[in-house]
Amino acid sequence: MKLCIFEDGRFSDLYPLTYTRPVFDLRCGRTRLYEKIVRNLPGVGTTFFMRGHLEPVFKDRLDGTVNELDALSGDDVLFVNGRVLALKGTIMPPGDEVAALKGDEIAYIYAKRETVSKLIGSSIDELLGRLKAQLSQLSTSVDLIGHPWDLVRNNPKAIVDDFESIGRRGVFGKMSPKAEIYGDAEKVHVAETAEVHPFVVLDTHSGPIMIDEKTKVLPFSRIEGPCSIGSGSMIVRGNVREEVSIGPMCRIGGEIEASIVHGYSNKYHTGFLGHAYVGEWVNIGALTTNSDLKNDYSTVDVYINGNLYDTGDTKVGSFIGDHTKLGIGCLLNTGTMVGVGCNLLGGEVLPKYIPSFTWFARGRISRGSGFRRTVDAERRVMLRRDVDMAPSHVQMLQNIYDETREERENLIKRGRGRSISEA
Amino acid sequence: MSNSSVEARVKNIIAEQFGVKAESLKPETSFMKDLMAESIDTVELIAAIEEEFNVEIPDEDAEKNQTVGQVIDYMRKRLTEKGH
Repeated sequence: MKLCIFEDGRFSDLYPLTYTRPVFDLRCGRTRLYEKIVRNLPGVGTTFFMRGHLEPVFKDRLDGTVNELDALSGDDVLFVNGRVLALKGTIMPPGDEVAALKGDEIAYIYAKRETVSKLIGSSIDELLGRLKAQLSQLSTSVDLIGHPWDLVRNNPKAIVDDFESIGRRGVFGKMSPKAEIYGDAEKVHVAETAEVHPFVVLDTHSGPIMIDEKTKVLPFSRIEGPCSIGSGSMIVRGNVREEVSIGPMCRIGGEIEASIVHGYSNKYHTGFLGHAYVGEWVNIGALTTNSDLKNDYSTVDVYINGNLYDTGDTKVGSFIGDHTKLGIGCLLNTGTMVGVGCNLLGGEVLPKYIPSFTWFARGRISRGSGFRRTVDAERRVMLRRDVDMAPSHVQMLQNIYDETREERENLIKRGRGRSISEA
Repeated sequence: MSNSSVEARVKNIIAEQFGVKAESLKPETSFMKDLMAESIDTVELIAAIEEEFNVEIPDEDAEKNQTVGQVIDYMRKRLTEKGH
């Protein structure tokens, strides 16, 4: 059998996080969505399908073929939507051919070799459409991630699922005798090369805590489970509340609750981040804080694709695209969306929607330093973590810059009109 | 491109950046002394001019242009070199 993990047409509902990555690369829990799918089917060769402009960046990062329709021929195939939250045992190859739907959306499809060969067509979308139409259908209750806040909402159970998948429990790394596990000591995994310094509390009363390789938890940090801290990260006097996932190579301090930090991002200082998802190469300055609850306790609205969308949740924080920098004292309103490559200066409550490659300062949105200088600065940022910005990465950012040009120009003009009329 | 067209376009960009009227900008208007420019203004202004005229302005050139007139002269020169 072969495995096919694909992006469907709803990738833009997960902007700004999916400007720079396929949907299945999003983190939920310790692992990314595709890692959970693959983990359910060990030893099965995988083909990934994603938007063309992401392929040059991701084809070397993924263990499998990318955007190759021919790779699906010659064997039975399990097609899995990249937005599926594949907790343990949720994705198993059924015996018979079937199209498993959540509502009208494909969650997964299992098709025999002959059927795949007969219906293959010229694109993955065409093939999936034909399979959906021709195979018997069943309704599935598997979770499909539809919007950025779904990742935050599902994060606690994803952390628990990841903890159970690790299998090993206990402290294998260096944990100071002056650090404390408050609660069940079997609910921690401290990896061999991790360090937990004195005066750290790991509180497992509400869930497990995973501390990955080469991670350091510095003194006076308190971590509540469920929580996962990725390899090479550092917790600096952090008040890490429940339901937090931190990816690799992050620096986290201050207060953080019910949030996901994708990786390679910093929130070093005091300030609150709650019910948020932070992309890669983001820096959050001292005292920057997001709201995740409205004063009237009503549900939070979020701008997605130009429309105001009711999340149905009362606890929703901010969603921050890759390569964005937030200066000191930025105040992010409930449900704020910030694009890729932004530079935000603080001192006031920011707009709820900030398009990619803009600056916000002194009450208005501007083009900032432009694309070339933004990329130059980000290249320096990445080198600080020994990562070269590849030409394919620059091209991906250029594509995003071009794709977001119209909304950027519209909002800049609107902002200028407002500031001139107020002057 | 005519000299007056370059002047008008440069002045419009500067006026937008600093929230002043284009007519109030004189050749001797200084970004620092008269418009109280901060580093963020300078960076944004350079980027806006680069985008408007589709040219790349090296940092060392940008630092030399401290007045409205100097920017207009610089842009005329660059556009002439470019063949406009």
